Amino acid sequence: MKQAIVELHNLSKIYQQGEVQVKAVDNVSLTIAKGDFAALCGPSGSGKTSILNLIGGLDTATSGQVWLEGIDLESMGNTQLAEVRKNRIGFVFQSYNLIPVMTAFENAAFVLDLQGIAKQEIQQRVMQTLAQVGLTGLEHRRPDEMSGGQQQRVAIARAIVTEPAIVLADEPTANVDSHTAESLLDLMQTLNQQQGITFLFSTHDQHVIDRARRIIQVQDGQVVSDEIRP
Amino acid sequence: MNLNTLAWRNLWRHKRRTLITASSIAFGVLLAVTFTGAGDYFYTRMIDAGANMGMGHITVAAPDYNRAPSSKKYLHQAGKLRQQVINIEEVADVVARIHGQAMFASARTSIGGMFIAIDPKQEHADNNLFIKAMVSGEMLSSASEKDIVLGVDLARKLKVDLGKKVVYTTTDNNGDIVSAIARVSGLFQTGSSEIDGAMAILPLNTVQKVLGYQQDEVSVLAVTLHDQRSSHQMRDTLQNMAEFEAVEVLNWQQTQPDLAGMIAVDKSSNYISQLLIALLVAAGILNTMLMSVLERGREFGVMMAVGMSPRNLFLLVMLESFWLAVAGLIIGIVVTTPWYLFMSQTGIDLSEYYGEGFSFGGVLLDSVFKIRLFKESIMAILIGLFGLALLSGAYPAWRAGQIPPVESLKTI
Repeated sequence: MKQAIVELHNLSKIYQQGEVQVKAVDNVSLTIAKGDFAALCGPSGSGKTSILNLIGGLDTATSGQVWLEGIDLESMGNTQLAEVRKNRIGFVFQSYNLIPVMTAFENAAFVLDLQGIAKQEIQQRVMQTLAQVGLTGLEHRRPDEMSGGQQQRVAIARAIVTEPAIVLADEPTANVDSHTAESLLDLMQTLNQQQGITFLFSTHDQHVIDRARRIIQVQDGQVVSDEIRP
Repeated sequence: MNLNTLAWRNLWRHKRRTLITASSIAFGVLLAVTFTGAGDYFYTRMIDAGANMGMGHITVAAPDYNRAPSSKKYLHQAGKLRQQVINIEEVADVVARIHGQAMFASARTSIGGMFIAIDPKQEHADNNLFIKAMVSGEMLSSASEKDIVLGVDLARKLKVDLGKKVVYTTTDNNGDIVSAIARVSGLFQTGSSEIDGAMAILPLNTVQKVLGYQQDEVSVLAVTLHDQRSSHQMRDTLQNMAEFEAVEVLNWQQTQPDLAGMIAVDKSSNYISQLLIALLVAAGILNTMLMSVLERGREFGVMMAVGMSPRNLFLLVMLESFWLAVAGLIIGIVVTTPWYLFMSQTGIDLSEYYGEGFSFGGVLLDSVFKIRLFKESIMAILIGLFGLALLSGAYPAWRAGQIPPVESLKTI
């Protein structure tokens, strides 16, 4: 039995839109195990990004619990959640979301800086991670000097450089061409297989779905199927 | 990358916007220096001119003399008191004077006025406005026991000129009416019709004899300070000295309440003008910082998502305000320095409009518009504008840290 990284218990999230209540997440219970390469799939508005946001401590649930490595996120304040995100979670977003005034190196080093890691160690870890994601030689480039694929690689480097418990990737291939998407998925698959990094995607991209070893179908805020591939 | 470096780089993402806002801070420096400098210069000039017209920055007089002046109220042992004061570091000069009212009569008419009796050995142009204002004849000399110097308008009213005789009548230390004759040795013109039409300068030793005073007895000791701002402190210092227990020590605010009141009113309107300038500068900074925060919502969301705390985000935006203020102040100092040097050394000559001088609050001022800043005013401007910039950045900074990351990430 694999160790559980994330546990969701009867999780619900209701948004108020004007006078209408929208149930984005409806009583979801789910476990993500260490080493998973899983994808939350479903059409737009099905609730997959909302689930990802709740797991990442970016949003708070209306009811239910989110446990991350045995920590109850729903009982935490903003500052404590920021600490959890900094130390235990890596994020990869759809539109790269790099900080434009920072170089590739500085973007990747940003979270390590926040963690207060010594400069020498940051240098070593970031250079090693940039090499892993295939960006050696591009450390000093700013986001606007890189292609979409390269920017997403920097985002992946930023997400994994802290050795998080889980990497949450929200539509990571949505903004790149299919060739680049394959190449990014190759990279993430390798990181998962060789280093055991846990990935949870939110996607409706077939490229990602084809590569995922676990497919969690979400519809109308509910998990309708959870398939583990051999 | 530390927050400082990040804040500095963020500031220059929109160079034009940053430069415009920094320029508004710089313009604030220029205006604040001009307004404050004009105040510092003119108030000092007015206070010094008022002091040089008779009573000094500090006045030592007999008890109750200031409230109800009379020749019956006078200082004894003025020489000893003067010696005590003149050795104090902050004191530039001390002169003994007799002030009084008199009826001046010529062969053709008579008119009421005032006199100041001076010791020519103690008086010079730096502590006596009338010496500077001489337009014909000579100011009193040590030998001129029978001389009198008149304001030009008083001489005109009396229909006398240099060399003519004038009889002045006043009351002595017993309240008896006494008279003496004098010959006009000089005329002064200050530009103030109130002074030029009513004032006469007489020799101290002669007036002492006329009033029945001893050689060491005078109405007042007029104390000139190196810096008028120390008048409060000096008054208290002197009043606490044993030798001054039996006399009254007053500062210029007490001897010239009209002038003090006028300066206070003028200062208030000056402060209001400066407050309006400060509000304009603050609005510019607030607008820039708020726009900068609102357009980076998604970026802040990402920063918080990867672990930046709301406190650090607040600090980041505050640091951007800090560097904006530093840039604005540096530009302000660079732009303002040549302006200040020109205005403090040369100034703008307004004599075309005001003549050689003009009267304000009963004192005379020259018509060259200059500015001068005290050190504490410089510090107040720099700290004030700097504080204002930080304060204006506080709300956008607070707001940046308050938006939940999930909301910020939705920002396009």
